[in-house]
Amino acid sequence: MVARPALRRAIPSSRTLLHAESRILRSSFSTTLQSQQKPNNNNNSVPEYAIPDPARPTHFGFETVTEAEKRERVAGVFTSVAESYDRMNDLMSFGWHRVWKDHFVASLNPGFSPLTSSSDPRAPQHILDIAGGTGDIAFRMLHTAHILNGNPDVRVTISDINPAMLSVGKQRSTSLPASQQAALSFLEANAEDLTQTKPLGANQVGYSPTTGVPDESVDLYTVAFGIRNFSNIPAALREAYRVLKPGGVFACLEFSKADKHPLFNTIYKQWSFSAIPLIGQLVAGDRDSYQYLVESIERFPSQEDFRDMIVDAGFVVGGQGYEDLTGGVAAIHKGMKPRRK
Amino acid sequence: MMRPSLISLRRPARQILFSSVSTIRAAAPVPTVATHRSLSTSTSTSTSTSTSTSTSTSTSTSTSTSTSTGPGSGCICANGSRRPQVQQTQKLQQQQRQHRNAYHSYDHPSSSAAFTPVEESILSAAYQHVPSHGFTPSALAAGARDAGYLDISPTILPEGAFALIRYHLVKQREELAARVSELFGGEGHVGARPGLSEWEIRGRVEAVTWERLSANAQVIGRWQEALAIMAQPSYVPLSLKELALLSDEILFLAGDSSVDPSWYTKRASLSTIYAAAELFMTNDHSPEFMDTRAFLNRRLREVSEVGGVFRNLREWVGFTATAGVNVLRSKGVKI
Repeated sequence: MVARPALRRAIPSSRTLLHAESRILRSSFSTTLQSQQKPNNNNNSVPEYAIPDPARPTHFGFETVTEAEKRERVAGVFTSVAESYDRMNDLMSFGWHRVWKDHFVASLNPGFSPLTSSSDPRAPQHILDIAGGTGDIAFRMLHTAHILNGNPDVRVTISDINPAMLSVGKQRSTSLPASQQAALSFLEANAEDLTQTKPLGANQVGYSPTTGVPDESVDLYTVAFGIRNFSNIPAALREAYRVLKPGGVFACLEFSKADKHPLFNTIYKQWSFSAIPLIGQLVAGDRDSYQYLVESIERFPSQEDFRDMIVDAGFVVGGQGYEDLTGGVAAIHKGMKPRRK
Repeated sequence: MMRPSLISLRRPARQILFSSVSTIRAAAPVPTVATHRSLSTSTSTSTSTSTSTSTSTSTSTSTSTSTSTGPGSGCICANGSRRPQVQQTQKLQQQQRQHRNAYHSYDHPSSSAAFTPVEESILSAAYQHVPSHGFTPSALAAGARDAGYLDISPTILPEGAFALIRYHLVKQREELAARVSELFGGEGHVGARPGLSEWEIRGRVEAVTWERLSANAQVIGRWQEALAIMAQPSYVPLSLKELALLSDEILFLAGDSSVDPSWYTKRASLSTIYAAAELFMTNDHSPEFMDTRAFLNRRLREVSEVGGVFRNLREWVGFTATAGVNVLRSKGVKI
């Protein structure tokens, strides 16, 4: 919040940057309906639905579009809302998204190490925060790991498809302590294909694309309020499986279904379909983007279906595999990449 | 993974089971020699019958319960084909075996799959660290390292450190049967035995309960903190459920075969006694926890004394009420 004026100044530069890189924007986001999936634990043969196909129909809110078209339109939505993203989150959820995010990070407890007899029990960790845009999750991760758990060997990579969102995060990170800033890195990448990545602003300083995120290099893969915008979720889940070390954790915080509480659900649906687009129009001056937001929440699979998609990608889950927040308005899904046999 | 099918099955199966159990309770009188075994058998029969006819109203269920005499008897249907029905029954029984029953049963042993293989591997390794680390995330992380996982891996356990406590409770409960059958001298000496006198059963309950309490000895230094975690509001339902399952297990192993309301009172009183004894044990420094055993004996004796008082009181109230009604009738009141 303190950095708001500085942030405003930063936005025009990010817009120009956007034009230069419109080609990258074509590579990510949106949801694909996964109604009829066969469980498949053999990761050598990737099922057809998990291979991104620009021509395959998917949905953009309540509309049906192709994956490629969806990617562009989602990029448009987030470029348009990047500036007001955090303020709108507060207004739409009455600030409650902070509680969810705090709980999400606390439940993962990054940087925690057991007290063992060896001289320094702390183990380094690499956290990949996908669709981390404005850094909400990443900054909390760093705080928990570096300060609460006293483990400075935890580094966080914020990855986002959208350079406008990343610039906001980069700007906000300047108010962090220097040690935490040093542990942060920003990456422009498509979550469905993490082999092609580049650091933020790479075009401006003339970097060639880096080699991408290597196999089995990540301890914790998080995606908060992002996965429903992916154009091919199964592909993204398989990519998460690839980059995670054995024993590494996939953790997802996402809007979900509150169907278990009919009365509450009625009020919630009323709020999201009538009030949120209106707030978007008044505060951010962009009704369509927020209309897409609530429609995309409605189209996202239920807790159980999404859990099955995670299992299908090869992860193992504990218990029922998910945790409902606020009666199911949001849910945390976790999966672990099993050890090699 | 088999998880999706299990989830989809669990709720309807439980509803059917619950409705049939409640019907059995309503359809009194229960045969006097009815044991756990006969109760569970009639349950499975009525369930399969009502499901195969797919008209699961309460009346049809109760009819099938009262007419059925054994497994498969309800399967001779209008089309006369018996075999498919039997297969269906077997399949259903297999499915029912996968979810936990509210009572002890030979035919539907509660699923031993309380933990998935990965959970099991992390928790069993973490359990070795409990005496030094306690029931803490630290023990979980140390266990995850031992099992070849990362420090972050235990975060997939939905209950955190409570999962470790639940692991202890479930494992010790499951191991109790083997230890008790050793104690009583063989496989055939545990379980429902109608021939036992009430006095004998009381002694056996004491022995089994003590066997279970002894299993806490190696973690007793950490058990107070475990009790504190179990008392947290979100974990209370699961803790109470485990306690109920344990007291049911103890009474079953001790040979209790009651099918009257004392089935409930026995389990309720044993649950409170066990919880109290467990708490007492955390502060017991006597050799081999002699004081705890004495405490347990005193509580069990009190229950039987109180139970006797209640029985006498009930008899007195019943006699007085009947006598009063008879006096009124003799005066010409039409009752």
